[in-house]
Amino acid sequence: MAEVLEGCWTTGTWTVYQGPQEAWAEPPSPLISREPQSAGEQRTCERCVMAVSLSSSNLLLLLVSSLDWLSAPGSAFLMDHASAPAPLEPHFTECTSRNRETFRCRWSPGRFHNLSAPGALRVFYMRKQLPFISPTSEWKECPQYIYENKECFFGVNHTTSWLTYCVQLRGQNNVTYYNEDDCFTVEGIVRPDPPVSLNWTLLKMSPSGLSYDVKVTWNHPPSADVKVGWMHLEYELQYQERNATSWEALDIQTDTQQTIYGLQAGTEYEVHIRCRMFAYTKFGEFSDSIFIQMPGGAVLPITLIVVFGIVGILILILLIVVSQQHRVMMILLPPIPAPKIKGIDSELLKKGKLDELNFIMSGEGMGGLPTYAPDFYRDEPWVEFIEVDAEYPEGGEKEEGQSSDTQRLLGLPQPSVHMNRTCSSPAGFADGDSGPASSYDPDVPNQDTLMLVAALLPGQPEDGEAPAGAAERSPPPERGEAPAVHVQATGPQTWVNTDFYAQVSNVMPSGGVVLSPGQQLRIQEASSATQREAQKKGAEREDAEEAEGKEHQELQFQLLVVDAEGGGYTSESSARQMGAPPGAHAAGEGPGAARPHPHGGPAATAGEHPSPYILPDSPPPPAFAPVADYTVIQEVDSKHSVLVDPPPHQPPPCLPQHPAKTLPALPVGYVTPDLLGNLAP
Amino acid sequence: MPGNVGSASAGWGLLVCLVFCTRLASVRAAPICSSAHAGCHVLSLANLFDRVIQHSARMHGISNDLHSEFEQYFLPSKNQIGRVSRNCHTSTILTPNGKENAQRMARDELMQVILKLLVAWRDPLWHFHQSMSHQHDFNNFSSNKALEMSDMVHELRTGVEKVAEKMQMLGIMSNSVSGLTSPEILLPSDSSEWRLMKDYDLLYCFRRDSNKVQNYLKILKCRIVPDHGC
Repeated sequence: MAEVLEGCWTTGTWTVYQGPQEAWAEPPSPLISREPQSAGEQRTCERCVMAVSLSSSNLLLLLVSSLDWLSAPGSAFLMDHASAPAPLEPHFTECTSRNRETFRCRWSPGRFHNLSAPGALRVFYMRKQLPFISPTSEWKECPQYIYENKECFFGVNHTTSWLTYCVQLRGQNNVTYYNEDDCFTVEGIVRPDPPVSLNWTLLKMSPSGLSYDVKVTWNHPPSADVKVGWMHLEYELQYQERNATSWEALDIQTDTQQTIYGLQAGTEYEVHIRCRMFAYTKFGEFSDSIFIQMPGGAVLPITLIVVFGIVGILILILLIVVSQQHRVMMILLPPIPAPKIKGIDSELLKKGKLDELNFIMSGEGMGGLPTYAPDFYRDEPWVEFIEVDAEYPEGGEKEEGQSSDTQRLLGLPQPSVHMNRTCSSPAGFADGDSGPASSYDPDVPNQDTLMLVAALLPGQPEDGEAPAGAAERSPPPERGEAPAVHVQATGPQTWVNTDFYAQVSNVMPSGGVVLSPGQQLRIQEASSATQREAQKKGAEREDAEEAEGKEHQELQFQLLVVDAEGGGYTSESSARQMGAPPGAHAAGEGPGAARPHPHGGPAATAGEHPSPYILPDSPPPPAFAPVADYTVIQEVDSKHSVLVDPPPHQPPPCLPQHPAKTLPALPVGYVTPDLLGNLAP
Repeated sequence: MPGNVGSASAGWGLLVCLVFCTRLASVRAAPICSSAHAGCHVLSLANLFDRVIQHSARMHGISNDLHSEFEQYFLPSKNQIGRVSRNCHTSTILTPNGKENAQRMARDELMQVILKLLVAWRDPLWHFHQSMSHQHDFNNFSSNKALEMSDMVHELRTGVEKVAEKMQMLGIMSNSVSGLTSPEILLPSDSSEWRLMKDYDLLYCFRRDSNKVQNYLKILKCRIVPDHGC
């Protein structure tokens, strides 16, 4: 017993199938077919799939109504049902329009072959003229039959846009084969004719010559009234290579031209086009294809050339980088600049170049360091001045060099040490190593005195170099000891030896002093001899170095005018006595360190370094020399200016405060007015 | 005497004011540059028509997109054209249903039809957009399109009115088309009919009407602006 289950009504017709669900096939004949009985049967739900299970009977009534799968007779040609089975009863195959002014509908008798005869089936259509919502709108018969094609042609008079048309087929005895889906609007079924006059022009060649741009132009189909504005078309261009299988589609657009980019040279392309109504879905037929032949074709050599060129360049770059690796690294990663001391080449800081460094450090070199450096340590008691020893070539610092030079030069004990011990006793002995020399900075006085001497005394020609030689600094402070002995003997503030005074014949613009010729050697000899005797201890080892340095020094000595309270003039004889042979100069004090130290030891120092203290040739030079040739500088104030008549004071005490700037008290000296101008450093 | 002087001066001042105010009011009413040398950019009628036609084409495209999107998501695979219950609120407006009918229609009438259509859709589209933005079924894309559609109707109406003014100025059209500022007059019937429409019906109707507007404008332009082939 067949059962009929309720299902969803659409606005269409029920279709009944027999058999199990898996084997639904087209029924040989519809068993049940009925129209919607009442208004309530209209579309109660959107989706509804129901399967009716068969009873034991082989007759099953399955009422299937699915929105996805509608197999009603006369399946709407408007839908794209690829899987829809061919309807059984007469149905419309397609309704189409070419120009939106006329349209035609084609039908098929289906399996009712007896209805194939013309006239057996009639077409009725209805135009739903809203707002007339009458379900029983009148159906009109087809205005024009074309039986050969089994189509009904609707002319211009029967075609209205924006209205819904429904068509149905009717048989002989009012059998109606109607499908609600066969309703449409004219715009919706328009399939325009293909565009005409398809043509192409070569636009542009790529720089490599491998590809081209082509511009394709066409015209709208003549059947479409585009000019009036009745039809608005959009076009789709497709192209493919000559014997390819799939087409490339370009973007759909409404212009009558389009550019194809990137077509390969030397190949042939096939191009065709179709169009459709703007904002609608149905495309017309494709136009005939045109064939485009791209020029060129000798592509391979160019490609090879380019590839090889690039590879060659890369190899070249690689070779350059590898061979000039160092330079490349310098360019790419420049070295970080090393810390630099003004006036000193950083190379000197390396091992073994201590002598030059000391030379420069002492300031006696013409490009010597400015005198500010010693000032840094003026007030710092913790600063140590390391003395440079011949046995300890490394570690030479400018302070120590200068102090020892000064020591040696003046025959004074280590100034720092001296100061520490007795601020008031100028006589001291130099310790081997420097004590805290913070209070006493031999460097500055050295500089000052050097400048002073240079300014005051016309001296002998010199080589223009700073008198201080690095070698001279190396002599250990032991040298100072020898002078210390002498110094103590002489007493404080007494420049015992007038050897300190020398006649400067000329001053070099670079600051050097030219001493009177001939005197230097003599003085050196005398002083060195004396020194030798005085300083036996610890002098031997430095002799060699000293000798060298001495000779070097003597020519470069700057003159130092040293204060001598107790008459700073040394007789020539005494100077000579004190003078040591040039080569035997024991004291290795730097010549530039001629420091007007109040402490004693001038004799010793003078003896050690006879060159800075050049005794005038003429005997008792002090008689007139001070007046004519030189004068005694009392002090050097902070601005490196010379004070000729300083207030007498104890030289040592004040030194800790500002030893660098002030010279120890000098004996009242004689300054001639005309020499005053030379006092300024 | 001072009183008389005062009243006289007041009267004079009032008179002067009146004269100037009326002058100002009349000057303010000029919508389009009348002369090219006044410094304003005068658009030719053809140019105005082109702009308006482009605008209407775009509006039709958007309405089509929305309609097919609606159809795809909510009513798939079902041809809804045959629905009997569909009824557009603009069905009362008599519109030419064919090319020949549109070409035979008088310019004034055609312009009037266009404006009626545009005016009739202003409120429904705005409410449609409002309802869509509240529904979360639609994605933002569709909601933006609805808003855009609503704006475009308004702009298109403004543009078409400008074209009508220009045409009147040039003497192509009579002055009967003016005075369309009161849409209530155009739809004497209950304009709330559209509230009864469902969203999908609304979209279908608007798609149809936007197509009408586009076609009418094109036909009008072809008739008015002399061009080859028209």
